[in-house]
Amino acid sequence: MTKDVVVSGVGMVTPLGTGKEDFAGNLFTGRSGIQPITAFDTSRFASKLGAAVTDFNPKDFISIRNRRRMDRLSLMTTASARMALDDAGVAITTLNRDRIGIILGVTYGSTDVAARFMGALFTEGPNLVSPILVPNTVMNAPAGHASIELGFRGINSTVNHHEVSAETAIAYAAAEIQKGRADVMLAGGADIFSAFFFEILTHFKALSPMDGQEEGARPFDVRRNGPVVGEGAGVLCLESREHALARGAIPYCEIGGWGLSSSPAPPTDWPSDPKGPVLAIQRALAAAGLLADQVDYVSASANGGRKLDGLEADALSRVFGAQPKQPLISSIKGALGESFSSGGIRAAAMALSIRDSILPPTLGLKTPLQPLNFVMERRMNAPVVNGLLNGFSSGGTFASMVMKRMDGSTGLDGVVR
Amino acid sequence: MGNGRVVITGIGSINAIARNAAEFSTALKAGRCGIGPVTVFDTAAFPTQTGGEVKAFSPQEQIPSPFYGKRMSRADAMAMAATLEALRDADLFPMPDDLREDTGVVIGGGAGGMLEGEMAYQRYLCGHVDAVRFSDFSAFCGASSADHIVSKLQLWGPKATFMTACSSGATAIGYARDLIRDGMANVMIAGGTEPLARTTYAAFNALKAVDPEYCKPFDRNRQGMSLGEGAGIMILESLAHALGRGAHIHGEILGYGVSCDANHMTAPDPEASGAARCMQMALADAGVEVAAVDYINAHGTATPANDRMETIGIKRVFGDRAYHIPVSSTKSMIGHTLGAAGAIEAVASVLAIAQGFIPPTVHSAVPDPECDLDYVTEGAREAALNIVLSNSFAFGGNNTSLVLGRYTPRGIGHD
Repeated sequence: MTKDVVVSGVGMVTPLGTGKEDFAGNLFTGRSGIQPITAFDTSRFASKLGAAVTDFNPKDFISIRNRRRMDRLSLMTTASARMALDDAGVAITTLNRDRIGIILGVTYGSTDVAARFMGALFTEGPNLVSPILVPNTVMNAPAGHASIELGFRGINSTVNHHEVSAETAIAYAAAEIQKGRADVMLAGGADIFSAFFFEILTHFKALSPMDGQEEGARPFDVRRNGPVVGEGAGVLCLESREHALARGAIPYCEIGGWGLSSSPAPPTDWPSDPKGPVLAIQRALAAAGLLADQVDYVSASANGGRKLDGLEADALSRVFGAQPKQPLISSIKGALGESFSSGGIRAAAMALSIRDSILPPTLGLKTPLQPLNFVMERRMNAPVVNGLLNGFSSGGTFASMVMKRMDGSTGLDGVVR
Repeated sequence: MGNGRVVITGIGSINAIARNAAEFSTALKAGRCGIGPVTVFDTAAFPTQTGGEVKAFSPQEQIPSPFYGKRMSRADAMAMAATLEALRDADLFPMPDDLREDTGVVIGGGAGGMLEGEMAYQRYLCGHVDAVRFSDFSAFCGASSADHIVSKLQLWGPKATFMTACSSGATAIGYARDLIRDGMANVMIAGGTEPLARTTYAAFNALKAVDPEYCKPFDRNRQGMSLGEGAGIMILESLAHALGRGAHIHGEILGYGVSCDANHMTAPDPEASGAARCMQMALADAGVEVAAVDYINAHGTATPANDRMETIGIKRVFGDRAYHIPVSSTKSMIGHTLGAAGAIEAVASVLAIAQGFIPPTVHSAVPDPECDLDYVTEGAREAALNIVLSNSFAFGGNNTSLVLGRYTPRGIGHD
């Protein structure tokens, strides 16, 4: 017998604010986190925009002892993990700490620390590399730091698989709850952008404006010309329904099921055939026991990239296109940019949409590339009973997850959490 | 049918002492050490110069052309070579068309494509960003090995990459087993890959965790690890699927456990609490009593702290029985292959079960009063093994233990 998995807490550090209320307020009122980059000089580059985290004070969340050992990525992750636990009302004690864990998605890791480490290695030589830098160069550092600061000693792992890292991590964590291997699992993702990383991305023309036209994030728009780089951390608190209800928690929603798939695309490129993402969506619907016309809302993976957005639109048309009732679709990457392991933030946004019955807008979407049922640049008020979260990555890896409203706990029909 | 059992039907490995699993078995039985001078990069400026390098690896010659890609990093190519070997071993090469949608890939890594990614950093630091090659940069994300395998073999099943430093390969195998049990796939290609790279070599040297000669696990005079490289890949299948196609079964994944020290980023918990819990979680997941474990393939890095801690952890889990279970470190022969270690050691464990031997710990000559278990230091032993525990402990306090078993139709212990 597997257990039902619920989302009982969310925490995030994003370009649209730190913590769920700031984040939801800014997201749902249609503010953009995309601004000209000020952290480093962009005058040499065609791309000048980024969605940077600006409103975040690590002191509010992390002890001084551990804070000085952490880099930005670990600070944002640990703060998000703390917020998710606090939001869920879970206090870590010596009695429960071995049954609480984290699975985190990280795509590029601490590229700032890695650049400093290699800078020393390649300019001053191996004998002058500082051992202090070493711990934060590994991809699993954020999850390790979070466990040390917060004291949970259960399952702990890090998924490092492009833009679908966080969705994969959430699905893995949910499976661990289903099996009863843990009582509470934190899950989500985090990535940052650094000067080094930005320069490399612009060099390979991986960012807007790939076509030399006006720079900007325009998911699903005919004028899209590449993603805008983003950063941030988002963490969910997952537990079994019985565990949540036994301690009097009111969850945001339930994880209905998920589907995982691949596509034989060239590494780092996108497939042209939507079969891979269609399989992921269909597997998720099957796992959740849903028919396609029961999906109310899709939080899309589209980021303004020419190939990704076309692929996702093709997949959505193939799954949902033939039916009379079509889900509403939006991508919050128009406001947040592409933050790589964005699935934690996006899953938290879905939980808040289910709670508030508000669908966030797709900023930058004026002329859709296909006639799908998009939430354009204005938010919509509509209940979400069954939401679908898509995570698609270059190299052809796909995860789709159904997040379902729990009757009576959230939404237009009653109790506000 | 099969009760959620997941079996191993193919294995492949490339490492410092072997180009394939058959050579690996011979070398393990002979106690051959592959640790010597590193040649994949210039070590002159480093404090140490040795490692467990894969010798004479020529991807273009060893990987048939449809499966080789010029953008593959050394890590990608080793993973691909081991994957093709494992698929052949499983009699799944060429991959039957009707399995492609139900076959996935999970890979664990450490440095991933950093041997090549370092070139991107180096060129960037020298102000030559225009000289950075896309293939170097694309190696930065650890996903590229799994991406290449899926792409070249034309698969559509689940795909994931784990990066938990030295426990990645073991976690990848555990997770792949879960995906089959959960009905997400019928066949999984699972394992790990790791290249020797300047970044990791510099990092472990900076931490003063490297023995300048060769590692001596559990020896009183041990000074640290020897870094190594290689890949280990397993083909996992649901028992029903394997039986349905009449596959030869090498062994069974009985369970795994994952825990966290939550103590220190790079040093192991001296009380071994995380390691002990991880072993206990794995045994509980497998439904195996401590008395049933016949051999422990240790993490055994040969750092003073790890080997002391691991010995304490084994005693915490096994009590008095700890003194009667052979424990050995195959890292003494191939070095510490970081993200691939758990996978290569799982392959070694399967070979041990299938061929009835216990691999030795070589170069462990001087007993340490703090490491007082049976480390199989005199050479490989013949032994009938039913159940093996394989440990992997990592930076970040990430611990993973796998329990592997001999395959019997009714399940080991139920015949």
